[in-house]
Amino acid sequence: MRSPAHRHVDAVFDALADPTRRRVVETLARGGTVTASGLAAQLPMTRQAVAKHLSALRSAELVSASKIGRETHYKLRPQPLDEAAHWIQMVSAEWDDRLEALRRTLEKRRSRSQ
Amino acid sequence: MKLRDEKATDEKAPWVERDTMVEASPEEVWEALTDEDRLEEWMAPDVELDPVEGGEISVRDGEDERSGTVETFEENERFAFTWSRPGEGESFVEFTIEALPGGSRVTVVETPIGPTAIAAGGWGSRLLRLSHAMRFAPVA
Repeated sequence: MRSPAHRHVDAVFDALADPTRRRVVETLARGGTVTASGLAAQLPMTRQAVAKHLSALRSAELVSASKIGRETHYKLRPQPLDEAAHWIQMVSAEWDDRLEALRRTLEKRRSRSQ
Repeated sequence: MKLRDEKATDEKAPWVERDTMVEASPEEVWEALTDEDRLEEWMAPDVELDPVEGGEISVRDGEDERSGTVETFEENERFAFTWSRPGEGESFVEFTIEALPGGSRVTVVETPIGPTAIAAGGWGSRLLRLSHAMRFAPVA
């Protein structure tokens, strides 16, 4: 059972593994639509470095780009972030259920032996 | 690893970490975590485990099946393995048992594997907050 959503979550985690890219994402989350130069002005890096990170984020579909005149404007796409956040919530809930079952089986056994 | 001196990750927590307190000794917890029959009482209906480092583990619940390899097997303290569903990315799962007065604390951590994914450790909770904040942010 290989879900496309799960594959995509892997790609999102991969793209976000780089701390500099996470700063780009957080800056985009605050800034709406921006150009690479606009982003570089807010971050301690060159426009070229920003462009490279934006391209990686586009591959993970975390960022969308549209050309207006001669400039490319970038925008964060929240959906993949939601999917990754959903993975975290789902895995957390699964472990909560399993740990609760573990606690029950341990305490049942203990009360039997007393 | 570079991870430790990386200032950009302000939290060191892994992607998912959960714990529970149980009224049972670390020895009792260890048995429930590492004995096949006991695992089937709480983990999944069908569990196979070769209880040594490097041994195989498989966890099946109906159609849902995951398998992997035992990474750490330190009696009464630490049990870790990798697992994955067919065709999906692997994760690393680690249980630690800590003795408490009158019982134990069991902590489980699940982290997606891959050098890059592990380097991102700690970003899970920030990701949740960011995703949540964006849902309510005005769309530009």
